[in-house]
Amino acid sequence: MSKFIDITLTGFSAGMVYSAVALALVLIWRATRVVNFAQGGMAMITTYIAVTVIDRGYGYWWAFAAALLSGLVLGAVLERVIVRRVESAPPLNAVVVTLGLLVLLTAVGGLIWGNSSRPSVPTPFSLAGYTFGKTTVGFGRFDTFLVLAVLAVMVLLVALFRFTGLGLAMRASAYSQEVARLVGVRVGRMLTLGWALAAIAGSLAGILVAPRVPLSPNFMDGPNIIGFTAAVVGSLDSPPGAVVGGVGIGLALSYVSGYLGADFALPATLGILIVVLMIRPEGLFSRAQARVV
Amino acid sequence: MLAVHELTTNYGAVCALDGVSIEVPVGQITAVLGANGAGKTSLLRTISGLVRARSGRVLLDGDDVTHVRPEDLARRGVAHVPEGRGVVAELTVEENLRLGGLFRKDRTDAARALREMYELFPPLAERRSRSAHTLSGGERQMLAIGRALVARPRVLLLDEPSLGLAPKITAQIMSLLRDLVAGQQLAVLLVEQNARSALSIADQGVVLGLGKVITTRAAADLASDVALRHAYLGF
Repeated sequence: MSKFIDITLTGFSAGMVYSAVALALVLIWRATRVVNFAQGGMAMITTYIAVTVIDRGYGYWWAFAAALLSGLVLGAVLERVIVRRVESAPPLNAVVVTLGLLVLLTAVGGLIWGNSSRPSVPTPFSLAGYTFGKTTVGFGRFDTFLVLAVLAVMVLLVALFRFTGLGLAMRASAYSQEVARLVGVRVGRMLTLGWALAAIAGSLAGILVAPRVPLSPNFMDGPNIIGFTAAVVGSLDSPPGAVVGGVGIGLALSYVSGYLGADFALPATLGILIVVLMIRPEGLFSRAQARVV
Repeated sequence: MLAVHELTTNYGAVCALDGVSIEVPVGQITAVLGANGAGKTSLLRTISGLVRARSGRVLLDGDDVTHVRPEDLARRGVAHVPEGRGVVAELTVEENLRLGGLFRKDRTDAARALREMYELFPPLAERRSRSAHTLSGGERQMLAIGRALVARPRVLLLDEPSLGLAPKITAQIMSLLRDLVAGQQLAVLLVEQNARSALSIADQGVVLGLGKVITTRAAADLASDVALRHAYLGF
Protein backbone atom coordinates (compact mmCIF):
# COMPACT_ATOMS: atom_id res chain seq x y z
CA MET A 1 0.00 0.00 0.00
CA SER A 2 2.74 2.44 0.89
CA LYS A 3 4.41 1.64 -2.42
CA PHE A 4 1.17 2.45 -4.21
CA ILE A 5 0.86 5.83 -2.45
CA ASP A 6 4.51 6.52 -3.14
CA ILE A 7 4.14 5.78 -6.85
CA THR A 8 0.92 7.77 -7.06
CA LEU A 9 2.55 10.87 -5.56
CA THR A 10 5.58 10.60 -7.84
CA GLY A 11 3.29 10.22 -10.83
CA PHE A 12 1.21 13.20 -9.78
CA SER A 13 4.25 15.45 -9.58
CA ALA A 14 5.54 14.30 -12.96
CA GLY A 15 2.02 14.61 -14.35
CA MET A 16 1.82 18.28 -13.43
CA VAL A 17 4.89 18.94 -15.58
CA TYR A 18 3.31 17.06 -18.49
CA SER A 19 0.17 19.13 -17.93
CA ALA A 20 2.18 22.32 -18.33
CA VAL A 21 3.74 21.03 -21.57
CA ALA A 22 0.33 19.88 -22.83
CA LEU A 23 -1.24 23.21 -21.89
CA ALA A 24 1.40 25.07 -23.88
CA LEU A 25 0.63 22.94 -26.94
CA VAL A 26 -3.14 23.30 -26.50
CA LEU A 27 -3.01 27.09 -26.13
CA ILE A 28 -1.07 27.40 -29.37
CA TRP A 29 -3.27 24.91 -31.18
CA ARG A 30 -6.40 26.77 -30.12
CA ALA A 31 -5.04 30.15 -31.09
CA THR A 32 -3.36 29.37 -34.38
CA ARG A 33 -4.17 25.73 -35.37
CA VAL A 34 -0.48 24.95 -35.33
CA VAL A 35 1.05 22.01 -33.45
CA ASN A 36 4.15 23.57 -31.97
CA PHE A 37 6.80 20.86 -32.25
CA ALA A 38 9.40 23.50 -31.31
CA GLN A 39 7.96 23.68 -27.77
CA GLY A 40 10.71 21.51 -26.28
CA GLY A 41 13.44 23.52 -27.96
CA MET A 42 11.95 26.77 -26.70
CA ALA A 43 11.74 25.44 -23.15
CA MET A 44 15.33 24.19 -23.41
CA ILE A 45 16.58 27.66 -24.44
CA THR A 46 14.70 29.41 -21.64
CA THR A 47 15.95 26.88 -19.08
CA TYR A 48 19.55 27.45 -20.21
CA ILE A 49 18.96 31.18 -19.88
CA ALA A 50 17.82 30.56 -16.30
CA VAL A 51 20.94 28.46 -15.65
CA THR A 52 23.12 31.25 -17.03
CA VAL A 53 21.45 33.67 -14.63
CA ILE A 54 22.29 31.32 -11.75
CA ASP A 55 25.89 30.90 -13.03
CA ARG A 56 26.29 34.67 -12.94
CA GLY A 57 25.61 34.54 -9.22
CA TYR A 58 21.97 35.56 -9.07
CA GLY A 59 19.51 33.59 -6.98
CA TYR A 60 16.98 30.97 -8.00
CA TRP A 61 14.04 33.35 -8.15
CA TRP A 62 15.84 35.65 -10.60
CA ALA A 63 16.50 32.59 -12.75
CA PHE A 64 12.88 31.46 -12.43
CA ALA A 65 11.63 34.87 -13.51
CA ALA A 66 14.18 34.97 -16.34
CA ALA A 67 12.93 31.62 -17.66
CA LEU A 68 9.29 32.70 -17.77
CA LEU A 69 10.07 36.15 -19.14
CA SER A 70 12.38 34.86 -21.85
CA GLY A 71 9.69 32.30 -22.72
CA LEU A 72 7.18 35.10 -23.17
CA VAL A 73 9.55 37.01 -25.45
CA LEU A 74 10.68 33.94 -27.40
CA GLY A 75 7.09 32.81 -27.99
CA ALA A 76 6.02 36.25 -29.21
CA VAL A 77 9.06 36.68 -31.46
CA LEU A 78 8.80 33.23 -33.06
CA GLU A 79 5.09 33.73 -33.81
CA ARG A 80 5.59 37.21 -35.20
CA VAL A 81 8.68 36.55 -37.28
CA ILE A 82 8.37 32.96 -38.45
CA VAL A 83 5.09 31.21 -37.69
CA ARG A 84 2.95 34.15 -38.88
CA ARG A 85 4.04 33.33 -42.43
CA VAL A 86 2.63 29.80 -42.39
CA GLU A 87 -0.49 30.26 -40.26
CA SER A 88 -2.78 30.57 -43.27
CA ALA A 89 -0.81 28.09 -45.41
CA PRO A 90 -1.64 24.36 -45.62
CA PRO A 91 -1.16 22.64 -42.21
CA LEU A 92 1.85 20.65 -43.40
CA ASN A 93 3.84 23.87 -43.89
CA ALA A 94 3.40 24.76 -40.23
CA VAL A 95 4.44 21.25 -39.17
CA VAL A 96 7.62 21.47 -41.22
CA VAL A 97 8.37 24.96 -39.92
CA THR A 98 7.95 24.09 -36.22
CA LEU A 99 9.95 20.87 -36.66
CA GLY A 100 12.64 22.93 -38.38
CA LEU A 101 12.56 25.41 -35.51
CA LEU A 102 13.08 22.56 -33.06
CA VAL A 103 16.21 21.43 -34.91
CA LEU A 104 17.42 25.02 -35.18
CA LEU A 105 16.84 25.80 -31.49
CA THR A 106 18.55 22.56 -30.44
CA ALA A 107 21.56 23.45 -32.60
CA VAL A 108 21.66 27.02 -31.29
CA GLY A 109 21.47 25.72 -27.72
CA GLY A 110 24.42 23.42 -28.44
CA LEU A 111 26.41 26.25 -30.04
CA ILE A 112 25.96 28.58 -27.10
CA TRP A 113 26.02 26.23 -24.13
CA GLY A 114 27.73 23.11 -25.48
CA ASN A 115 26.27 19.73 -26.38
CA SER A 116 27.60 17.82 -23.40
CA SER A 117 25.27 17.55 -20.46
CA ARG A 118 25.87 19.64 -17.39
CA PRO A 119 24.68 19.28 -13.78
CA SER A 120 21.09 19.98 -12.94
CA VAL A 121 19.77 23.32 -11.80
CA PRO A 122 19.92 23.86 -8.04
CA THR A 123 16.71 24.91 -6.32
CA PRO A 124 15.99 26.31 -2.86
CA PHE A 125 13.64 23.39 -2.30
CA SER A 126 14.88 20.01 -1.20
CA LEU A 127 14.39 17.29 -3.81
CA ALA A 128 14.14 14.67 -1.07
CA GLY A 129 10.72 13.25 -0.27
CA TYR A 130 8.78 13.98 2.88
CA THR A 131 9.39 11.50 5.69
CA PHE A 132 6.51 10.06 7.69
CA GLY A 133 7.81 8.05 10.62
CA LYS A 134 10.22 5.66 9.00
CA THR A 135 9.01 5.88 5.40
CA THR A 136 10.09 8.47 2.90
CA VAL A 137 7.68 9.09 0.01
CA GLY A 138 8.60 10.15 -3.52
CA PHE A 139 7.12 13.59 -3.04
CA GLY A 140 8.86 16.40 -1.21
CA ARG A 141 9.18 20.14 -0.86
CA PHE A 142 10.24 20.64 -4.47
CA ASP A 143 7.23 18.64 -5.66
CA THR A 144 4.94 20.79 -3.55
CA PHE A 145 6.47 23.88 -5.12
CA LEU A 146 6.15 22.33 -8.58
CA VAL A 147 2.47 21.49 -8.16
CA LEU A 148 1.67 24.92 -6.75
CA ALA A 149 3.61 26.70 -9.50
CA VAL A 150 1.81 24.82 -12.28
CA LEU A 151 -1.57 25.33 -10.57
CA ALA A 152 -0.87 29.04 -10.14
CA VAL A 153 -0.05 29.47 -13.83
CA MET A 154 -3.17 27.52 -14.78
CA VAL A 155 -5.41 29.56 -12.50
CA LEU A 156 -3.97 32.80 -13.87
CA LEU A 157 -4.49 31.63 -17.47
CA VAL A 158 -8.06 30.50 -16.78
CA ALA A 159 -8.81 33.83 -15.05
CA LEU A 160 -7.36 35.73 -17.98
CA PHE A 161 -9.38 33.79 -20.57
CA ARG A 162 -12.64 33.64 -18.60
CA PHE A 163 -12.90 36.96 -16.85
CA THR A 164 -11.12 39.64 -18.86
CA GLY A 165 -11.95 41.47 -22.06
CA LEU A 166 -8.50 40.60 -23.36
CA GLY A 167 -9.19 36.91 -22.79
CA LEU A 168 -12.55 37.22 -24.56
CA ALA A 169 -10.82 38.89 -27.51
CA MET A 170 -8.24 36.08 -27.60
CA ARG A 171 -10.89 33.38 -27.55
CA ALA A 172 -12.91 35.12 -30.26
CA SER A 173 -9.76 35.38 -32.40
CA ALA A 174 -9.10 31.68 -31.95
CA TYR A 175 -12.60 30.64 -32.97
CA SER A 176 -13.49 33.12 -35.67
CA GLN A 177 -10.92 35.55 -36.98
CA GLU A 178 -13.47 37.24 -39.20
CA VAL A 179 -16.00 38.03 -36.49
CA ALA A 180 -13.18 39.09 -34.16
CA ARG A 181 -11.86 41.57 -36.72
CA LEU A 182 -15.35 42.89 -37.39
CA VAL A 183 -15.81 43.80 -33.72
CA GLY A 184 -12.46 45.59 -33.68
CA VAL A 185 -10.11 42.93 -32.28
CA ARG A 186 -6.54 43.18 -33.58
CA VAL A 187 -6.34 39.46 -34.28
CA GLY A 188 -2.63 39.40 -35.15
CA ARG A 189 -1.71 40.74 -31.72
CA MET A 190 -3.97 38.20 -30.04
CA LEU A 191 -2.20 35.34 -31.84
CA THR A 192 1.20 36.69 -30.81
CA LEU A 193 -0.03 36.98 -27.24
CA GLY A 194 -1.38 33.42 -27.43
CA TRP A 195 2.06 32.12 -28.36
CA ALA A 196 3.69 34.22 -25.66
CA LEU A 197 1.38 32.90 -22.93
CA ALA A 198 1.76 29.32 -24.15
CA ALA A 199 5.53 29.69 -24.10
CA ILE A 200 5.34 30.75 -20.44
CA ALA A 201 3.66 27.44 -19.61
CA GLY A 202 6.32 25.63 -21.67
CA SER A 203 9.18 27.48 -19.95
CA LEU A 204 7.68 26.67 -16.59
CA ALA A 205 7.76 22.98 -17.52
CA GLY A 206 11.42 23.36 -18.52
CA ILE A 207 12.58 24.95 -15.31
CA LEU A 208 10.60 22.42 -13.27
CA VAL A 209 12.07 19.43 -15.11
CA ALA A 210 15.63 20.77 -14.91
CA PRO A 211 16.48 20.10 -11.23
CA ARG A 212 16.00 16.34 -11.65
CA VAL A 213 17.81 15.68 -14.92
CA PRO A 214 21.21 16.60 -16.35
CA LEU A 215 20.86 19.54 -18.69
CA SER A 216 21.60 19.08 -22.40
CA PRO A 217 20.09 20.59 -25.56
CA ASN A 218 17.81 17.54 -25.77
CA PHE A 219 16.73 17.42 -22.16
CA MET A 220 13.10 18.37 -22.91
CA ASP A 221 12.60 15.68 -25.56
CA GLY A 222 11.20 13.09 -23.15
CA PRO A 223 8.83 15.37 -21.21
CA ASN A 224 7.77 16.88 -24.50
CA ILE A 225 6.80 13.59 -26.14
CA ILE A 226 4.82 12.65 -23.04
CA GLY A 227 3.26 16.13 -22.83
CA PHE A 228 2.30 15.88 -26.48
CA THR A 229 0.65 12.53 -25.79
CA ALA A 230 -1.20 14.09 -22.86
CA ALA A 231 -2.45 16.92 -25.08
CA VAL A 232 -3.69 14.51 -27.75
CA VAL A 233 -5.26 12.20 -25.18
CA GLY A 234 -7.08 15.10 -23.54
CA SER A 235 -7.95 16.69 -26.91
CA LEU A 236 -5.82 19.41 -28.44
CA ASP A 237 -8.76 21.79 -28.15
CA SER A 238 -9.33 21.57 -24.42
CA PRO A 239 -7.16 23.21 -21.72
CA PRO A 240 -8.86 21.20 -18.94
CA GLY A 241 -8.27 18.13 -21.10
CA ALA A 242 -4.56 18.98 -21.25
CA VAL A 243 -4.36 19.18 -17.47
CA VAL A 244 -6.30 15.97 -16.86
CA GLY A 245 -4.42 14.24 -19.68
CA GLY A 246 -1.09 15.33 -18.20
CA VAL A 247 -1.85 14.11 -14.70
CA GLY A 248 -3.43 10.92 -16.07
CA ILE A 249 -0.40 10.07 -18.18
CA GLY A 250 1.91 10.98 -15.30
CA LEU A 251 0.10 8.53 -13.03
CA ALA A 252 -0.12 5.81 -15.69
CA LEU A 253 3.60 6.01 -16.45
CA SER A 254 4.45 6.02 -12.78
CA TYR A 255 2.47 2.81 -12.25
CA VAL A 256 4.05 1.24 -15.32
CA SER A 257 7.59 2.03 -14.23
CA GLY A 258 6.83 1.25 -10.58
CA TYR A 259 5.28 -2.16 -11.14
CA LEU A 260 6.69 -3.27 -14.51
CA GLY A 261 10.00 -1.43 -14.70
CA ALA A 262 11.19 1.95 -15.96
CA ASP A 263 12.03 0.55 -19.39
CA PHE A 264 8.34 0.12 -20.12
CA ALA A 265 7.46 3.80 -19.56
CA LEU A 266 8.12 5.21 -23.02
CA PRO A 267 6.56 2.29 -24.95
CA ALA A 268 3.55 2.61 -22.64
CA THR A 269 3.24 6.32 -23.53
CA LEU A 270 3.14 5.54 -27.21
CA GLY A 271 0.79 2.62 -26.55
CA ILE A 272 -1.66 4.95 -24.79
CA LEU A 273 -1.36 7.42 -27.67
CA ILE A 274 -2.16 4.76 -30.26
CA VAL A 275 -5.07 3.28 -28.29
CA VAL A 276 -6.66 6.70 -27.72
CA LEU A 277 -6.21 7.67 -31.34
CA MET A 278 -7.90 4.43 -32.41
CA ILE A 279 -10.84 4.68 -30.05
CA ARG A 280 -11.41 8.42 -29.81
CA PRO A 281 -9.22 10.23 -32.35
CA GLU A 282 -10.58 13.63 -31.36
CA GLY A 283 -9.37 13.16 -27.76
CA LEU A 284 -11.21 12.31 -24.58
CA PHE A 285 -12.24 15.87 -23.77
CA SER A 286 -13.37 17.11 -27.14
CA ARG A 287 -16.88 18.45 -27.28
CA ALA A 288 -18.73 16.88 -30.15
CA GLN A 289 -20.31 19.80 -31.90
CA ALA A 290 -21.09 20.99 -35.36
CA ARG A 291 -18.76 23.78 -36.36
CA VAL A 292 -20.24 26.40 -38.62
CA VAL A 293 -17.51 27.12 -41.11
CA MET B 1 -22.93 59.07 -43.77
CA LEU B 2 -21.39 56.30 -45.79
CA ALA B 3 -20.65 56.80 -49.47
CA VAL B 4 -19.06 54.56 -52.07
CA HIS B 5 -17.54 56.00 -55.25
CA GLU B 6 -16.69 53.98 -58.34
CA LEU B 7 -15.73 50.98 -56.22
CA THR B 8 -14.10 48.10 -58.11
CA THR B 9 -13.05 44.75 -56.67
CA ASN B 10 -11.58 41.64 -58.26
CA TYR B 11 -11.39 38.07 -57.07
CA GLY B 12 -8.46 36.97 -59.18
CA ALA B 13 -9.62 37.45 -62.75
CA VAL B 14 -13.30 37.69 -61.79
CA CYS B 15 -14.64 41.18 -61.46
CA ALA B 16 -16.95 41.25 -58.42
CA LEU B 17 -17.68 44.98 -58.33
CA ASP B 18 -17.40 47.21 -61.34
CA GLY B 19 -17.49 50.94 -60.59
CA VAL B 20 -20.24 50.88 -57.96
CA SER B 21 -21.39 54.19 -56.46
CA ILE B 22 -23.92 54.34 -53.61
CA GLU B 23 -24.85 56.82 -50.90
CA VAL B 24 -26.17 55.54 -47.60
CA PRO B 25 -27.79 58.43 -45.72
CA VAL B 26 -28.16 58.55 -41.95
CA GLY B 27 -31.62 57.70 -40.68
CA GLN B 28 -32.40 55.59 -43.73
CA ILE B 29 -32.26 52.00 -44.85
CA THR B 30 -30.62 51.43 -48.19
CA ALA B 31 -31.38 48.01 -49.62
CA VAL B 32 -28.97 46.38 -52.06
CA LEU B 33 -30.77 43.82 -54.20
CA GLY B 34 -29.92 41.50 -57.03
CA ALA B 35 -29.39 37.88 -57.99
CA ASN B 36 -26.73 35.54 -56.65
CA GLY B 37 -23.34 36.66 -57.87
CA ALA B 38 -24.48 40.22 -58.50
CA GLY B 39 -21.81 41.50 -56.10
CA LYS B 40 -23.95 42.24 -53.04
CA THR B 41 -21.78 40.44 -50.51
CA SER B 42 -18.59 41.66 -52.21
CA LEU B 43 -19.85 45.22 -51.79
CA LEU B 44 -20.19 44.85 -48.00
CA ARG B 45 -16.90 42.98 -47.66
CA THR B 46 -15.07 45.63 -49.66
CA ILE B 47 -16.61 48.45 -47.63
CA SER B 48 -15.58 46.87 -44.33
CA GLY B 49 -12.10 46.10 -45.66
CA LEU B 50 -12.29 42.29 -45.52
CA VAL B 51 -11.70 42.38 -49.27
CA ARG B 52 -9.28 44.88 -50.78
CA ALA B 53 -10.70 47.41 -53.21
CA ARG B 54 -8.83 47.61 -56.50
CA SER B 55 -9.96 51.13 -57.22
CA GLY B 56 -12.56 53.63 -56.10
CA ARG B 57 -13.20 55.04 -52.65
CA VAL B 58 -15.21 54.39 -49.51
CA LEU B 59 -16.03 57.54 -47.54
CA LEU B 60 -17.21 57.68 -43.93
CA ASP B 61 -18.46 61.17 -43.06
CA GLY B 62 -16.19 62.49 -45.79
CA ASP B 63 -13.03 60.65 -44.65
CA ASP B 64 -11.45 58.22 -47.06
CA VAL B 65 -11.58 54.80 -45.34
CA THR B 66 -11.07 52.65 -48.43
CA HIS B 67 -7.94 50.93 -47.13
CA VAL B 68 -8.66 51.09 -43.42
CA ARG B 69 -8.42 47.60 -41.92
CA PRO B 70 -11.70 45.98 -40.77
CA GLU B 71 -10.74 46.07 -37.08
CA ASP B 72 -10.00 49.80 -37.28
CA LEU B 73 -13.13 50.56 -39.27
CA ALA B 74 -15.16 48.69 -36.65
CA ARG B 75 -13.70 50.96 -33.99
CA ARG B 76 -14.76 53.97 -36.08
CA GLY B 77 -18.40 52.93 -35.92
CA VAL B 78 -19.01 50.65 -38.89
CA ALA B 79 -20.60 47.37 -37.79
CA HIS B 80 -20.70 44.58 -40.35
CA VAL B 81 -22.83 41.49 -39.78
CA PRO B 82 -21.57 38.97 -42.33
CA GLU B 83 -23.81 36.45 -44.01
CA GLY B 84 -24.88 33.61 -41.74
CA ARG B 85 -21.87 33.81 -39.46
CA GLY B 86 -22.04 37.01 -37.52
CA VAL B 87 -21.58 35.27 -34.17
CA VAL B 88 -18.88 33.14 -32.59
CA ALA B 89 -20.66 29.81 -32.16
CA GLU B 90 -18.33 28.58 -29.39
CA LEU B 91 -18.89 31.60 -27.14
CA THR B 92 -21.98 32.17 -25.02
CA VAL B 93 -24.73 34.60 -25.91
CA GLU B 94 -23.51 37.06 -23.30
CA GLU B 95 -19.89 36.78 -24.48
CA ASN B 96 -20.94 37.48 -28.05
CA LEU B 97 -22.77 40.60 -26.93
CA ARG B 98 -19.80 41.68 -24.79
CA LEU B 99 -17.57 41.29 -27.84
CA GLY B 100 -19.55 44.02 -29.56
CA GLY B 101 -18.79 46.47 -26.76
CA LEU B 102 -15.20 45.38 -26.13
CA PHE B 103 -13.64 48.48 -27.62
CA ARG B 104 -16.06 51.07 -26.36
CA LYS B 105 -14.37 53.72 -24.22
CA ASP B 106 -17.63 54.43 -22.42
CA ARG B 107 -17.92 51.31 -20.25
CA THR B 108 -21.18 52.37 -18.57
CA ASP B 109 -22.87 52.84 -21.92
CA ALA B 110 -21.48 49.53 -23.18
CA ALA B 111 -23.10 47.82 -20.20
CA ARG B 112 -26.33 49.73 -20.81
CA ALA B 113 -26.31 48.75 -24.50
CA LEU B 114 -25.92 45.12 -23.48
CA ARG B 115 -28.98 45.33 -21.20
CA GLU B 116 -30.94 47.01 -23.97
CA MET B 117 -30.25 44.08 -26.28
CA TYR B 118 -31.84 41.71 -23.78
CA GLU B 119 -34.94 43.92 -23.73
CA LEU B 120 -34.95 44.15 -27.50
CA PHE B 121 -34.48 40.38 -27.95
CA PRO B 122 -36.12 38.58 -25.01
CA PRO B 123 -35.13 35.09 -26.31
CA LEU B 124 -31.48 36.07 -25.88
CA ALA B 125 -32.05 37.07 -22.26
CA GLU B 126 -33.31 33.57 -21.49
CA ARG B 127 -30.24 32.00 -23.07
CA ARG B 128 -27.47 34.36 -21.97
CA SER B 129 -25.12 31.70 -20.64
CA ARG B 130 -25.84 29.14 -23.38
CA SER B 131 -23.31 28.81 -26.14
CA ALA B 132 -24.34 30.44 -29.41
CA HIS B 133 -24.32 27.19 -31.38
CA THR B 134 -27.39 26.04 -29.44
CA LEU B 135 -29.47 28.94 -30.78
CA SER B 136 -32.01 28.68 -33.60
CA GLY B 137 -31.35 30.50 -36.87
CA GLY B 138 -33.56 33.42 -35.90
CA GLU B 139 -32.00 33.75 -32.47
CA ARG B 140 -28.55 33.63 -34.01
CA GLN B 141 -29.45 36.46 -36.34
CA MET B 142 -30.82 38.43 -33.38
CA LEU B 143 -27.55 37.83 -31.57
CA ALA B 144 -25.49 38.92 -34.58
CA ILE B 145 -27.50 42.13 -34.90
CA GLY B 146 -27.39 42.59 -31.14
CA ARG B 147 -23.63 42.33 -30.94
CA ALA B 148 -23.36 44.85 -33.78
CA LEU B 149 -25.70 47.27 -31.97
CA VAL B 150 -23.85 47.02 -28.65
CA ALA B 151 -21.05 48.86 -30.44
CA ARG B 152 -23.53 51.73 -31.05
CA PRO B 153 -22.51 51.95 -34.69
CA ARG B 154 -23.05 54.88 -37.01
CA VAL B 155 -23.26 52.55 -39.97
CA LEU B 156 -24.73 49.05 -39.95
CA LEU B 157 -23.88 46.66 -42.79
CA LEU B 158 -26.23 43.66 -42.84
CA ASP B 159 -25.67 40.72 -45.16
CA GLU B 160 -28.78 38.62 -45.80
CA PRO B 161 -30.33 38.75 -42.34
CA SER B 162 -33.32 36.75 -43.65
CA LEU B 163 -31.18 33.83 -44.88
CA GLY B 164 -32.68 30.55 -43.74
CA LEU B 165 -35.32 32.18 -41.56
CA ALA B 166 -39.05 31.53 -41.52
CA PRO B 167 -41.10 34.37 -43.12
CA LYS B 168 -42.55 35.33 -39.73
CA ILE B 169 -39.10 35.74 -38.17
CA THR B 170 -37.88 37.64 -41.22
CA ALA B 171 -40.79 40.05 -40.85
CA GLN B 172 -39.91 40.54 -37.17
CA ILE B 173 -36.29 41.31 -37.95
CA MET B 174 -37.22 43.71 -40.74
CA SER B 175 -39.66 45.68 -38.62
CA LEU B 176 -37.05 45.79 -35.88
CA LEU B 177 -34.60 47.37 -38.34
CA ARG B 178 -37.20 49.95 -39.22
CA ASP B 179 -37.63 50.86 -35.53
CA LEU B 180 -33.88 51.04 -35.02
CA VAL B 181 -33.33 53.51 -37.81
CA ALA B 182 -36.22 55.64 -36.63
CA GLY B 183 -34.77 55.94 -33.15
CA GLN B 184 -31.08 56.47 -33.87
CA GLN B 185 -28.54 58.31 -35.93
CA LEU B 186 -27.89 55.18 -37.90
CA ALA B 187 -27.28 54.47 -41.58
CA VAL B 188 -28.20 50.94 -42.63
CA LEU B 189 -26.94 49.18 -45.74
CA LEU B 190 -29.03 46.04 -46.10
CA VAL B 191 -28.08 43.34 -48.58
CA GLU B 192 -30.97 41.01 -49.34
CA GLN B 193 -31.88 38.19 -51.67
CA ASN B 194 -35.42 38.53 -50.36
CA ALA B 195 -36.19 41.74 -52.27
CA ARG B 196 -39.86 41.90 -51.35
CA SER B 197 -39.34 42.08 -47.61
CA ALA B 198 -36.28 44.32 -47.92
CA LEU B 199 -38.18 46.85 -50.02
CA SER B 200 -41.06 46.83 -47.55
CA ILE B 201 -38.85 48.57 -44.99
CA ALA B 202 -36.17 50.30 -47.09
CA ASP B 203 -36.14 53.97 -48.04
CA GLN B 204 -33.91 53.49 -51.02
CA GLY B 205 -33.15 50.48 -53.21
CA VAL B 206 -30.07 49.74 -55.29
CA VAL B 207 -30.23 46.96 -57.86
CA LEU B 208 -26.94 45.26 -58.70
CA GLY B 209 -26.33 43.03 -61.69
CA LEU B 210 -22.96 41.42 -62.47
CA GLY B 211 -21.11 43.90 -60.29
CA LYS B 212 -22.70 47.04 -61.74
CA VAL B 213 -25.42 49.31 -60.43
CA ILE B 214 -28.48 48.77 -62.65
CA THR B 215 -30.55 51.42 -60.93
CA THR B 216 -30.89 53.38 -57.69
CA ARG B 217 -34.38 54.49 -56.76
CA ALA B 218 -36.83 55.09 -53.95
CA ALA B 219 -37.90 51.74 -52.54
CA ALA B 220 -41.59 52.25 -53.32
CA ASP B 221 -40.67 53.06 -56.92
CA LEU B 222 -38.71 49.87 -57.32
CA ALA B 223 -41.44 47.76 -55.78
CA SER B 224 -43.97 49.10 -58.31
CA ASP B 225 -41.78 48.61 -61.40
CA VAL B 226 -43.06 45.23 -62.57
CA ALA B 227 -40.61 44.81 -65.48
CA LEU B 228 -37.57 45.50 -63.29
CA ARG B 229 -38.88 43.24 -60.54
CA HIS B 230 -39.27 40.37 -62.96
CA ALA B 231 -35.89 40.94 -64.58
CA TYR B 232 -33.73 41.39 -61.46
CA LEU B 233 -35.62 40.83 -58.24
CA GLY B 234 -37.49 37.62 -58.88
CA PHE B 235 -40.91 38.62 -57.56
